[in-house]
Amino acid sequence: MKRAFLLGLGVALLALALYPLVATGYGIRFMLQLFMWVALAQSWNLMSGLTGYVSFGHVAFFGTGAYAAAILVTTHGWHWGPASLAGGVAAMLLALIIGYPCLRLKGPYFAISMLGLNEVMRVLVSYFEGLTGGGLGLSLPTLHASVQIYYTMGLAAVAVTAAAYFIITSRFGLRLMTIREDEIAAEAMGIDTARHKLYAFLLSAFVPGVVGGFFARDTGYIEPIAVFPLFYTITMIVMALFGGKGTIWGPVLGAVALFVLQELVWARFLYLHQLLFGAIIVLVVLAMPRGILGVLQERYRLPRTL
Amino acid sequence: MSVVITPTMVVQVVISGLLAGALYAMVALGLALIFGVMRVINVAHGTIMMLGAYTTFWWFHLLGVNPYVSLLASMPLLFLVGAILQRTLVARVVDAPELSSLLLTFGISIALVNLAQLGFTSDLRSVEFLTGAFLVGPFAFSKARLVSFAFAVAITLLAYWFLQRTKLGKAIRATSQSSEVAMICGINVGRIHLYTFGIASALAAAGGSLVAVILAIQPEMGQVFTFKSFLVIVLGGAGNYPGALLGGMLLGLVEQLSSLFLTTQLSEAVAYVLLVLVLLLRPTGLLGGRAR
Repeated sequence: MKRAFLLGLGVALLALALYPLVATGYGIRFMLQLFMWVALAQSWNLMSGLTGYVSFGHVAFFGTGAYAAAILVTTHGWHWGPASLAGGVAAMLLALIIGYPCLRLKGPYFAISMLGLNEVMRVLVSYFEGLTGGGLGLSLPTLHASVQIYYTMGLAAVAVTAAAYFIITSRFGLRLMTIREDEIAAEAMGIDTARHKLYAFLLSAFVPGVVGGFFARDTGYIEPIAVFPLFYTITMIVMALFGGKGTIWGPVLGAVALFVLQELVWARFLYLHQLLFGAIIVLVVLAMPRGILGVLQERYRLPRTL
Repeated sequence: MSVVITPTMVVQVVISGLLAGALYAMVALGLALIFGVMRVINVAHGTIMMLGAYTTFWWFHLLGVNPYVSLLASMPLLFLVGAILQRTLVARVVDAPELSSLLLTFGISIALVNLAQLGFTSDLRSVEFLTGAFLVGPFAFSKARLVSFAFAVAITLLAYWFLQRTKLGKAIRATSQSSEVAMICGINVGRIHLYTFGIASALAAAGGSLVAVILAIQPEMGQVFTFKSFLVIVLGGAGNYPGALLGGMLLGLVEQLSSLFLTTQLSEAVAYVLLVLVLLLRPTGLLGGRAR
C-alpha cells in the first residue's frame, strides 16, 4: 500500500516536471496557479490546521512578500528568485511582530488581530508611496519566465507539503496538535506553548511571502488591491477545510478539487463565489469537520497520518 | 506637514472622538455580550451591523422614513436574524473548540456579504439626512454625528439598565459568569443564548442605522467594525461590560487624534498598533477584566 502510494507520487511528480515540454501557455498558467493555491492552503494548514489558531489574514503575508520582492527587483535590481525568498523573510518579520504579542495569549486574540492585519497592510502600502508606488502600484521589468515560475511555484508547493509531512510526523507536530486539542494540558506537560505557536506561525508566514514574490514576478504588476484581497484568505481557508485541516494531504486535495471546480464551473458564477465558499465553510464545520480526507479515511480505513 | 495645530482644533478633535466612541461602544457591547455568555467571538457581528445600515437606507430611500425612526425597524429585524442564526447554526458550535465557532461565523459573514452584494449591489449608498453642523463658538459639530451620538448613548444606557435591573438581564449576566451554576439555578441557558445573540445583533443593527447617516454604506463595510468592536473589548477587558464604554471612547479618541497629528489614512493603522500594544503590555484590558 505504502509502496504503491510512493510510486504513484513519484510518477505524478515526474509527469508534472516534464509537463512544460508539451504544455500550452494556458496549461502552464493553470498549473502554476494550482501550485500557488496548494502552497497557500498548505501554509494556512501549518498554523491553523495544526495549532487550532485561526489565521483570518494570511493574505497579508502574501501581499507583504509580493511587495518586498517587487521593490527589490525594481529598485535594487535583484533577481526575482532571491527577491522572493527575501519576500518570505519580510513576511516572517511581520508574523513575528504580530505573533509575539498575540500568541502569548489563549483565546480569540490571534484570530481577530489577523482579521485586521490585511486591512492595515493595505493602508500602509498605499500610504508609503515613495517606496511602493501607492495606489499606482509597481511595474516589474518585462520578463517571460512562465516556465521558470511554474517550476519554482511547483517547488514551493512540494516543499511546503514535505514540511507538513515532516512536522506532522514529528514530536514538534505532536506538540502543536496537543496545543490544538487542549492547550492547558499541553502546558501542564511542559510544552512551551507560546514558543511552539510562534514557530509554527513563522513557518506558516514564510511560504505565502515567497509565493507572493513569485506571483509579483508572474503578473509583472502589483497594486494594493491586487495582492491584499480578503478573498485569497477565504480561498485558502476553504481549501484547507474542505480537504481536511491538520492533515498532510487534505489541503492538497482541497486545493486541487476546488481550483479545478472553480476553473470549470464557478468561473461563470463569479458573483456567487463568496456565497458558495461561505456555505462550504459552514457545512464543513458543522457536518464534516475533518474534511473530505476525513470522510475517505473513515470509509476506506486509510491511515490517520495522511 | 506645515499645518499649525491650535488648541481649538485639539478640543474639536477630542469631541469628535467621543462622539464616534459612543457608537463603537454600543456595537462592541453586543460583541462582548456574545463572547461573555457563549465564549464565541462572532466574526459576523460587523456584517449584521451592515445589514442594519441597509435596513435604514432602504426605509429612507423607498419610504422616506426618518433614519432615526428606522431604528424601530432595524433593531427588531436583526434581533430576529441574530436569533435565527443562533438557533440554526451557532448553537451547534457553542461548546465546540474555538476554531469551529470562529470559522462558522466567518463563513456566515462572507455568505451574508455576498448576499448583500447580490441584493443591493456594491454601489456606495448614503442617507442624506441632517447634513450641516451646529456652530458653537469656535467649534463645529456635525448634526448627524451629534444626534447619532445621543441615540447611541441612550441605547447603551438602556442596555446597561436592562442587564442590571431586569430578570432576563440578570440571567444573562449569571450565565456569562458560569453557565453551569446558572443552569443549576433553573436558568434555561439555551434560551439565554438565543436572547443574547438577538440583543447583540440588535445593538449591532442600531450601530448600522446610526452610522448610515454618517458614512457611506456598502456590503463590505462590516468587517472593519468587527475588528474595531473586538479592539474595544480588548481595551476595556474581555468579560467586563462597562469596560466596553471606556474602550469605545478611547478608540474614538485615538483615531481622531491620529488623524489630526498624522493623516486620516493612517488612523486605521494606528488603531491596530494600539491593539498590539495593549495585547503586549496589558492583555487583560485597561480596567483589568477576567483574564482567560
